[in-house]
Amino acid sequence: MLVDLPGGWSPLLGRLAWSQIPYANPILAPLFVAVVIGAIILLGLITYYGKWTYLWKEWLTTVDHKKLGVMYIIIGLVMLFRGFIDGLMIRTQQVWAVGPHSTGVFGSLHGYLTPFHFGQVYSAHGLIMILLAATPLLVGFMNIIVPIQVGARDMAYPYLNALGLWITAAAAALIMISLFVGDFAHNGWFEYAPIFELQYSPGVGVDYWIWTLQLVALGTTLGGINILATVIKMRAPGMTWGKLPIFVWASLSANVIALTSFPALQVALALVAADRYLGAHFFTAGMGGNLMLYTNLFWIWGHPEVYFVILPAFGMMSEIFPTFSEKPLFGYITMVLASMAIAGVSWLVWLHHFFTMGAGPYVNTAFSVATMLVGIPTGVKVFNWAFTMYRGRLTFNAAMLWAIGALFLLLIGGMTGMMLAIPAINYMVHNSVFVVAHFHSMLLVIVYAIFGSVLYWFPKVFGFKLDEFWAKTMFWLFSAGTALVFVPMYMLGFMGMTRRLEYVFNTSWQSYLDVMELGIVVYTLSVLAFFILLYVSIRDHAKNRVGADAWGTSRSLEWMTHSPVPFYNFAVLPHVNERDELAWRRQHGIDQVRPAHYDDIHMPNNTGVAIIMGGLTFVLGFALTWRIWWLCIVSLLAIILLMIIRSFKGDPGYIITGAELQRMEEEAYRREAQIADSHHSHPVSGGVVGNAMAYQRNDSSK
Amino acid sequence: MEIKWRNWLKNGWRAVALAPVLLLSGCAGNTYWIFDPKGIMAKTNLFYMIVDVVIMGAIVGLTALLVVWFMWRYKKGKNRGKYDPHWSHSNTIEVFVWGIPIIAVGFLSYFAVKGTFEINPYNPTVITHHMKPNGDPVEVDVIATDWQWLFVYPQYHMAVANELVLPVHTPVFFRLTSSAVTTTFFIPQLVGMIDVMPGMRTKNALMSDHVGEYQGIASDFAGAGTSWMTFKTKMVSAGDFSQWVQQVQKAPGSMTYASFNRFAQPYIDVHHHVVYFSAVEPGLFDHVMAEVMRGKTWPLPPMMTENMVEYMQKQAAEHRD
Repeated sequence: MLVDLPGGWSPLLGRLAWSQIPYANPILAPLFVAVVIGAIILLGLITYYGKWTYLWKEWLTTVDHKKLGVMYIIIGLVMLFRGFIDGLMIRTQQVWAVGPHSTGVFGSLHGYLTPFHFGQVYSAHGLIMILLAATPLLVGFMNIIVPIQVGARDMAYPYLNALGLWITAAAAALIMISLFVGDFAHNGWFEYAPIFELQYSPGVGVDYWIWTLQLVALGTTLGGINILATVIKMRAPGMTWGKLPIFVWASLSANVIALTSFPALQVALALVAADRYLGAHFFTAGMGGNLMLYTNLFWIWGHPEVYFVILPAFGMMSEIFPTFSEKPLFGYITMVLASMAIAGVSWLVWLHHFFTMGAGPYVNTAFSVATMLVGIPTGVKVFNWAFTMYRGRLTFNAAMLWAIGALFLLLIGGMTGMMLAIPAINYMVHNSVFVVAHFHSMLLVIVYAIFGSVLYWFPKVFGFKLDEFWAKTMFWLFSAGTALVFVPMYMLGFMGMTRRLEYVFNTSWQSYLDVMELGIVVYTLSVLAFFILLYVSIRDHAKNRVGADAWGTSRSLEWMTHSPVPFYNFAVLPHVNERDELAWRRQHGIDQVRPAHYDDIHMPNNTGVAIIMGGLTFVLGFALTWRIWWLCIVSLLAIILLMIIRSFKGDPGYIITGAELQRMEEEAYRREAQIADSHHSHPVSGGVVGNAMAYQRNDSSK
Repeated sequence: MEIKWRNWLKNGWRAVALAPVLLLSGCAGNTYWIFDPKGIMAKTNLFYMIVDVVIMGAIVGLTALLVVWFMWRYKKGKNRGKYDPHWSHSNTIEVFVWGIPIIAVGFLSYFAVKGTFEINPYNPTVITHHMKPNGDPVEVDVIATDWQWLFVYPQYHMAVANELVLPVHTPVFFRLTSSAVTTTFFIPQLVGMIDVMPGMRTKNALMSDHVGEYQGIASDFAGAGTSWMTFKTKMVSAGDFSQWVQQVQKAPGSMTYASFNRFAQPYIDVHHHVVYFSAVEPGLFDHVMAEVMRGKTWPLPPMMTENMVEYMQKQAAEHRD
């Protein structure tokens, strides 16, 4: 052992011992029982209905980008729910533990969570919401939409795509298991130096944090490579850079950030691991370590990461606004420039996360001005969305409401962001709940855009629309919750309330905390409305079936293929003539054409390697956390072996013959013809309608 | 031009400064610490906040109104505005779309630069440029532990734990370090935040003309005891201050590095103990910093606060409560 480990260690189980299972905890023990019962019921149902083969063949081993995207989104939604419960626990603790006379239960002096547990709850809340809810949700949408929008049959690297998903799933599983085995990090989602050192965080919490983050970083980097390669190499014929749909541009800029910034995080985490496992002194206060180095390294990744999550959200808004304004996006080129500018400037602003760390005024002003520069392209985007609505014909259905909500939240978040960018203001509110309210405003922009996108693209993926009434109910409840939680939070920031208080020392803040608790109750109702929304929509799905163009005013390529999208996306790749191809075709009366002839196409095979690899990375993460060295070695060797075997085996793919394709396509057209408001398409031979190319002439992808 | 400009700013400041006061007149007492600064540093911070909010508020407010107006005017089926299905570009609008944010950012950048120098914690010009020749500054060495504050007054060879007493009308200069982990020193009504880091020395300063008691906070999470790591800051008259100094100097406790070593053991200050130390080893601040840089730590036991009630009993049993 290179470090002094507090507590025991055994060669077989590492630091794992019975005492690490919180079976006496009054919150975790019942939860554990509930989870076990839930899991037994779920597994039982799958067995009862004999769905294991279906699950394995259709989902767990799939390389289909749409199914992988759906699974990303399911992970994201599950983790969003977990993160929400954490948020509810934080709010409840703070509203309870106010002033010296407040009561305490479960071993705490005030409220129901001790500092030991409260720290874990808010750390998990932050990490989950940013990296295991927002990120998988956005990656999921990029996964589903980008290949269809560029007119590709799958991602550039289908197997890599599956691998990215299962590594992300392993990360989610690792953070979930920390609930019941050991403890999670106590010191915030970004941790600090030197509090994450073994002397100040002797438990396994920080180790769980390290390996969860490492896995997410790995998964997201792999995903980023894939999206970039897909956009660069797999675009449909005719789709030049100037005709790229705006969401694709947003995904491209976001993944440039992901690819370049996540390695910085992985290095920082590796150095933290070196401190904790090998007794190094990179970030210790003594022995030549430099704790400020960690803060810099983390935020060199952390700030670009913020834009990695917000840029796709901006892209989603840029898709929703034109569709429901029935006109093209205003200022396409400036929008693209703005996305790229945000991606570029994202690298120059990290120091604004710690103006108070004591840098001199020259350094602080440089980063202050750089930070405000972000306001320029962001401001441009807001104006462009506004002018997209200008001279439009606006339909305020639920998806549009979410997008507009995101726009207003962005105004609030942008305004408070410009306040925080100025050090003279920042010093007053830096570690206060004002900052918490600010970044929740910004992250809620993402959440709003995501819910907007769920409604917007759901019919494309599943072939039927979600229920408008419950979607709107959920929107208004969610927005009321947002106002009730975050308006008082901004006010508390101006009152000087600092963040992460397990015990609130100032009783005059009570009434504001009460309002926030009410807000979280309203949020809970919106979660309920979401479940009802899913139930009602699935129940009535036959009524809400849609054709290829679910909204009738959609503009981009994904609405030109069937809903739900067949696994090969396009039977014959479309030829792209204009930026908003479908809108252009509709205008020229050629939106209802279909190919007369089908060529053979080449598709990738499913593989079980990715999920096994994901399982092994989970085992590796768990073994590293608990310092079970033999298991680390075994799982690492297995991963390497599997990688070698897979790379020699490769995937020759398989061929769908033209005849088979024709059969499937005709069936899809027959299905569509049964939907009341869908038009009947007519076949065109040679891929040419009038003067325009509708389809790729020779499909040479055999 | 220059004078007009300043007048405009002054008036603007007053108008906006009144707004929150009006808004809160219903509340019992002013609990908005950031809007109620009692020191020159905090006042300067508020000034820049108001400038920023006025400029950005104008832009954001107008944009919001614009969006709402578009939403009303172009609602489908109402036929209030002209529908133009192809309109997606206008050079004139582009100029405004880029121009407004660029001008606003340029404008705010000027204030950002100016403000950063004015309240630069190492040399705040709002204090140092206006120091009276006879107003001898008070120096305070701040040492944060897990989880207490030790305020050393080197000029008076004394120290106080968890309470800060300072004279009004006098510049106060802080040197800050930590024995354990990073936290942040913050007195909302007097001075903004500055990080306090082990093995590092940061600085800050404040000056206040208002006698009163102000809340001090450890505003960065430093572990289990952070929520209780608060301290009262008492601004007192010069006479009261010298009386208080004499009182502390009569106290029995003394603070050497050896006693600091005990003081710095993890301790959750639930009952807000104020302790006076009449004699302090000279150079204690530098000694602590040097030890930490050599690798000295005060480690925490595993699962220390899994049960706070038990932990408090343990802390009491060690006669440290």
